[in-house]
Amino acid sequence: MANIALSSPGQRLSRWINQEHVFKLILVAPLQVLMWAILIVPTLLVIYLSLVRWEPILGDWTQAPFNWFGNYVKVLTDPRFWEVLGRTLVIVFFAVSLEFLLGFALALFFSQDRLPGKRLFTSIILYPMMLPWVVVGFTFYLLFLDRGPVNYVLIQLLGPGAAQPWFKEPPLAIGTIILADVWQWTPFMFLILYSGLGALPREPVEAAMTLGATRWQIFRLITLPMLKPVIIIALVIRALECFKIFDLVYIMTGGGPGTSTESLSLFIYRTGFVYGQLSLAAAMAVLLLISIAVVTRFAIRPLEYREEV
Amino acid sequence: MAETAVTTPTVTSVARPRLSARAWVGTLLRLLVAVGIAIVFLLPVLWMLSISFKPPTEWLEYPPTLIPKEPLIGNYTFLFNPGNPEGAIAVMTGAAEPVMPAFINSLIIAPVATVFSVIIGFLAAYAVSRFRVGGNFMPFFTLTTRMFPPVAFAVPLLVYYSAVIPSVIPGLRLYDTRLGLILMYIAFTVAFALWMTKGFIDGVPRHIEEAAILDGASRWRVLFTITLPLVRGGLAATTLFIFILTWTEFLFALIFTQRYAITVPVQVSHYAGAIGRFYGPQAALGILASLPVVIAGYLIQRHLVTGFTFGLIRE
Amino acid sequence: MADPLPIIQLRNLRKEFNGTVAVAGLDLDVLEGEFLCFLGPSGCGKTTTLRMIAGLETPTAGEIYLRGQRITDLPPQQRGLGFVFQNYALFWHMTVFDNLAFGLKVRGLPPAEIEARVKEIARGLELEAVLGQRAARLDLSAMQRVAMGRTLITQPQVLLLDEPLNNFRPGLREIMRAELKRLQLNLGRTMIYVTHDQEEALTMGDRVLVMNAGRVEQLGTPREITEHPASLFVASFIGRPPMNFIPADYRIEGGRALLRHGSLTWDVTLWRQAIEAQMRNGQVIVGVGPADILPLALASHGEGEPLRTQVDLVQPLARQKILELKVDDLLLKVVVPGTFQVQAGEMLDVVMPSRALHLFDPLTEKAILLY
Repeated sequence: MANIALSSPGQRLSRWINQEHVFKLILVAPLQVLMWAILIVPTLLVIYLSLVRWEPILGDWTQAPFNWFGNYVKVLTDPRFWEVLGRTLVIVFFAVSLEFLLGFALALFFSQDRLPGKRLFTSIILYPMMLPWVVVGFTFYLLFLDRGPVNYVLIQLLGPGAAQPWFKEPPLAIGTIILADVWQWTPFMFLILYSGLGALPREPVEAAMTLGATRWQIFRLITLPMLKPVIIIALVIRALECFKIFDLVYIMTGGGPGTSTESLSLFIYRTGFVYGQLSLAAAMAVLLLISIAVVTRFAIRPLEYREEV
Repeated sequence: MAETAVTTPTVTSVARPRLSARAWVGTLLRLLVAVGIAIVFLLPVLWMLSISFKPPTEWLEYPPTLIPKEPLIGNYTFLFNPGNPEGAIAVMTGAAEPVMPAFINSLIIAPVATVFSVIIGFLAAYAVSRFRVGGNFMPFFTLTTRMFPPVAFAVPLLVYYSAVIPSVIPGLRLYDTRLGLILMYIAFTVAFALWMTKGFIDGVPRHIEEAAILDGASRWRVLFTITLPLVRGGLAATTLFIFILTWTEFLFALIFTQRYAITVPVQVSHYAGAIGRFYGPQAALGILASLPVVIAGYLIQRHLVTGFTFGLIRE
Repeated sequence: MADPLPIIQLRNLRKEFNGTVAVAGLDLDVLEGEFLCFLGPSGCGKTTTLRMIAGLETPTAGEIYLRGQRITDLPPQQRGLGFVFQNYALFWHMTVFDNLAFGLKVRGLPPAEIEARVKEIARGLELEAVLGQRAARLDLSAMQRVAMGRTLITQPQVLLLDEPLNNFRPGLREIMRAELKRLQLNLGRTMIYVTHDQEEALTMGDRVLVMNAGRVEQLGTPREITEHPASLFVASFIGRPPMNFIPADYRIEGGRALLRHGSLTWDVTLWRQAIEAQMRNGQVIVGVGPADILPLALASHGEGEPLRTQVDLVQPLARQKILELKVDDLLLKVVVPGTFQVQAGEMLDVVMPSRALHLFDPLTEKAILLY
C-alpha cells in the first residue's frame, strides 16, 4: 500500500483513527469507562464504607470515623447473619439439586428419537426462565394461598387434613420458595444439558454398542464423563445465581413469617436500605465478594485441566 | 449368486415395513408424558391468567376453577385507571396506582439499556476476539459483574449516586431517574453482551477480514460492513437475551427508584404488597408484565437450543 | 476343501431415509474367512449397508442372517460383530488401556484377565508404550491401532471396517493396507471392508462388491471385475486411468458384423449372435482399456486394422506414460511403457484388438456378454 503524503486534516484524522492501536482503544474505551465508573470505583467505595462507621443520617460520608474491622466483627458475631447464610445455602442446595435432576431427566427424555412435536414442547418448557422473577413469585404466591389450587388438589388427593398453611410455617414457606425457583429454573438446566447431550459425538456411543455395552453402561461410562464439563458449568452458574435469590423471597414471603425465610440478599438489603446500617451492609458485601471469588476459583479448577486436551 | 444350503427359515422376498405396533404404542406414551410435562410448566401461568379475568367474587372462591364463570377485562382496565373502577371491581384500599408510568419507564429503560449494552459489548468483544485485548483474563473479569450479588454493589452505588456523583458533576441527578437506572443496567449486562457476541465473532473466519484489509478497506469499514452482517443473528439473540435481563430486573430498580423512575417489576411488587386483596388486578398486572419478555423469548428460543455448550464438548 | 459357508446373508435388504432410497433390495452371501470389499462412490449405500449389518441402522425392509440365525431385529450389543469407524470413535476421555479393555469390561470379565488380554493385544499392535495415555493425544496411526485392538479383543465373528484408512496420507496408506491384509490372513476372520478407493479394494479384497446408488453393480473377484466388468459403471469406476468409451453403430456389411464410429471399425462377426441377442437398438458402447490400445510398433501381428491418431498430450509417470490421442471427435487415453518414445503433436498408429473389447448396451448400461 503506497503511503502518499496526505495533507487535509480530515484525511489525517481518518488515517490516525485507522491505526491498529487507536482502533483497539476506541473499541474498548466505552467498556473501560463503564467498568471503572460503575464497578471499580464502587468496589473501592464499598471497601471504604465497610471500614468506617456510617449511616446516612449521620451526614457526610467523607467525614465518617474509621471503625476498621469493627463492622466485620459485628457481622461475623451476629447469629442472625449465620442463620441467614445457612438458610440461603440450604435453599441453594435443594433448589439446584432438584433443578439438576429434573433438568437432566427432561434432557434425556427429549433427546430420544421418535417424539413428535419436540420443537413445540421444548419452546413451552423454556419460557418460565423469561418471566420476571417478581411475576413468578406472585404466581406461586397465588397458587399456595390457603384456599388456593395447591391445597385444593392436596385435599382431593389426600383428604381434608392435607391442606397446609404454606406461608405460616417457616419450613413450608422455604419449600414454596424452593418450588418456585425449581419451576422457573429447571428449564435452564434442561437447556444446557440438552444442548450438551445433542453436541455429544454419536460415534463413540455407537462404538460402545458394537462392543456389547448396555444402554445403562453407555450412559454411565461414556455419556456422563463426556458431559462432565458441561454439568460443572451448569451447576456453578445456577448455584451462583440461586445464591443471590431476592425477588422471589421479597414477593412471596417478604422474609417471613418474621424473618425466618430471609435470604442473604434480602438480609443485606434490609440492613443497608431499610434499617440504614450501610456500613454493616458494606462489610457483609465485602465478605460476600471475597467468598464468592474464592469458591468460584475452586469450582472452576476441574475444568482447567481439560483445556490442555 | 449360488445359494448354498443353509438352515434358514423360509426366505421372504416381500418388503416388510419396519414400524411395528409396539413402536406406535411407545411413541404414544412418550407423547403423553411430554404433554404432562408441558402442562406442569403451563399451569401456574394459566392460573394467573384465569384470575386476571375473574370478577372479585370468584377470586377466592372454593373450590377453585380454572375457567372464570363470568370473565371480564375489568381487572386490566383497572390497572390503568384505578380511580374509576369499572363495574364490579371495588378498590379496597389505596395502594393502587395507575401502571402506565411504570410501563412507560420500562419501555424506555429496557430497550435503551439493551441497545447500548449490546453496542458496547460488541465493540469490546471485537477487540478481544481479534486483538486479544486484556488477554484471556478480560472476559472472565467482566463476568464478575454477574457473579456477585447485586446487593453487594447496590450499597456503594447508592452512596455513589446520591452523594459522590452530584459532588463531582454538580446538578447531575441519578437517583430515581431513568438515566441512572439505564447506566446501571448497561454496566451489569455488558459482560453478557461481550461474552455472547465474542462467541459469534470468533465464528467469523479472520481471513475474510484480512482479505478486505489487503484490498485497502479501513478497519472500521471491515468491522461494520463485513463482520457485523455476518453476526447479525447472534447479535439479535444477544439483544433479546439482554432485553429480558433488563426488563425483569428488580433489585436495583427497587433500591434506586422512588417515584419517578419506577419500572414494571417494582410496580408489580407494589401491587403484590398492597394491603387488601385485589388479586384480579394483581394477576392482570403480572400477565402484562410478562408479555414483552415472553414474546422476546419466543423469538430467540430458536437460537438458544443450538449453541449452549460453551465450546466444551469435543467433536 | 469344502466350499466356505456363508457366515452373513443379506436378503432383499432395503433402507430408506425420508423417502430417499439409500439401499435398494440387496442380496448378498458373505463367505466365512473372506476379505470382502464394498466399493463405490460416496452415497452409494455401502456404509449404510455395513451399518445395517452391525445393527446401527434398522433396515426398512429385508432380513439379515448370521450363521443361519435371523439377526435383523437384534440390537448391536448382541450381534457379536466388530466395527471400526472411519474416524475411529475412540473414547477420548479414557486411556488407551481403558479403551482396549472396554469390550471386556462391559461383559464383566475379572480385572486380572482383562489386564492380561489387554497387554497381549497391546503387544501385538505395538501399543504398549501408550497404554497409559489419554486416547485423545495419540497420533493417527496409533489411534487406528487402538480402534482395531478395541474391537479385536472381543473376538468378534466378523469385523466390519468403514473406510478406516481414509485419514492416512497416500504413502502410509499402502503400508497400512498390507498390515491389515496380513492381519486378516493371520487371524482368519471374516472382514467386510468399505472403501471408495478402487485400488484399495482390488488389492486387498478376495471378492469385491461394487455398488452404485443403492444397487449392486457387480460381485466378483478383483480379476473378474477388472477383466469382465458387468456394467458401464463398473467399467468406468475401475482402473486408472479409466476405460475409454466409444459409442458405435452396429452394422452388417458384406456378411461381416461391424461396429463403427467415424473412422473406427471393429469386426465383431465372431460374437454376432450374442450381440444381436443382447443389444437393444442397434447401438453399442465400446469400452477399451488404456492398456489395450497398442501402438503399432508394440502390437503383435494381425491384431486389427491400424488407426491413425494424433498425440495430443504426453504425461510421463514413473514407469509408464499416459498418452491422450486424438482421432475423429474422440480423445483416447492410452498407457504405454515408460521407455516408449513419443512426442506431443506426432502422428501415431495404434491398434485395438477386438479380443480386448468390452461391449455395453447403452440403454441398460449392462455389459454384453460375449461368451
